[in-house]
Amino acid sequence: MNGVRTIFGREIASYFTSLFAYLIAAAVLLITGILFINNIGRSQDQVAPNPAAIPDFFAFALIFFAPLLTMRLLAEERREGTLELLLTSPTSDSSIVIGKFAGAWAYYTIILAITFVYQVILLNISQGQTDLAHALCAYIGIWLYGGACLAVGMVFSAATDNQIVAAFLASAALFLLWIGDRVGEVIPNINVARFIRELTLQSHYASSFAVGLLRAEDIVFFAGIIAVMLFITIRLVESNRWR
Amino acid sequence: MIEVKDLSKRYGDRLAVNAISFKAQPGEIVGLLGPNGAGKTTTMRMLTGFMPPTSGSAAIGGFDVVEDSFEARSRVGYLPERVPLYPDMTTEGYVTFWAKLRGVRQPAQAARAVLERLHLDDRSKTLVRNLSKGMRQRLGLAQALVHNPPVIILDEPTIGIDPQQVIEVRETIAALRQSHTVLISTHILSEAEQICDRVIIINQGKIVAQGKPGDLRKKLNAANLESVFLQMVNKDKRA
Repeated sequence: MNGVRTIFGREIASYFTSLFAYLIAAAVLLITGILFINNIGRSQDQVAPNPAAIPDFFAFALIFFAPLLTMRLLAEERREGTLELLLTSPTSDSSIVIGKFAGAWAYYTIILAITFVYQVILLNISQGQTDLAHALCAYIGIWLYGGACLAVGMVFSAATDNQIVAAFLASAALFLLWIGDRVGEVIPNINVARFIRELTLQSHYASSFAVGLLRAEDIVFFAGIIAVMLFITIRLVESNRWR
Repeated sequence: MIEVKDLSKRYGDRLAVNAISFKAQPGEIVGLLGPNGAGKTTTMRMLTGFMPPTSGSAAIGGFDVVEDSFEARSRVGYLPERVPLYPDMTTEGYVTFWAKLRGVRQPAQAARAVLERLHLDDRSKTLVRNLSKGMRQRLGLAQALVHNPPVIILDEPTIGIDPQQVIEVRETIAALRQSHTVLISTHILSEAEQICDRVIIINQGKIVAQGKPGDLRKKLNAANLESVFLQMVNKDKRA
């Protein structure tokens, strides 16, 4: 536990002392701000604003955003040789991985939480007419979705010591896990299409959390993805001992 | 303190370390000498719990490096050949991090004390990336000492730094003798002769000679350790 806490603390501190992390946060907040204004603008034409507009954007943006947060995590430790010191510390391999994952997820949570300010503004200007429960549900969904994306990103960071390669492969994987939701448009067999859809991250968000449905199966799906990805990452870290 | 018995490591077809055995006591500085690729780093990596041995055993303070890995690891301070650093941290932050990870009770205090000991205290707020090569080397040493481990393992600790700093690092290592067991690897023979109480010469994964530098010299009737080393390594080649 001490190991997880220490690693987590270092990760969080390193996000907040690196210019890069601020740039990512700034970019995300800028784009979500523009989206929000657009969404409000449209709602003046008598269309109700979509309470899940910001989370919906994240669902797509995570394809690029999550790998940027995770590419460094293990690839850099390997390249700098610090992984050797971590692996010779009295800390288990799993606490190293879990501490790092928790750091990345916490940073994502902070950025996501800041965007919730839009919902508060919306609630104010609509005089309580917005569906806050729907928005909250979408936020819970996208929070879990983000965790799953970060866990996928970590696998690639552990698999290579080149950060660019790690980010590129993670983006490709996340893109497939996103676009797969639309597989029905190209595969006529409904059962095959449904099976593939069930495997994608997007389908477990878009047709439930995003429309205000909080379903246990989707929560379990995301938690399961996170667990499996972290397990693979731990095994990959461990494999450094066998080279 | 360090007890190595028939330790071997095989990489595919190649036997990198071949059934070596030795012991090191508290208050002793033991030098691992050998040409590049002799198995020095591999031996150290097994002792520090980084990689498991193929066969044989090693123990640190009575704790087996495989069976009681955490106990053994917490008793070792390790400086790998390439100093592992976090460039974006401050000097003090870096040492405090390792102190915390190794369960030191008052990590910040321990970090300050070790930085003072290695004359880095005036750089405690400097980012690691802005340190000179010699300072980085000393910082690497600081992380290995911060939890006050009984066993200290240093892989080529004086490589690539200027002569003035080499002397400083050697003095620091020599001073560790009083309260620690130190294992260092080097291929600078005069260095081994100066600071080691005992040297172990390894070649192609095997121990070819060990003893006090002076005794080895006498036994082989050599002028210095360098010729002892060359005799041993070349004899092995001819055989």
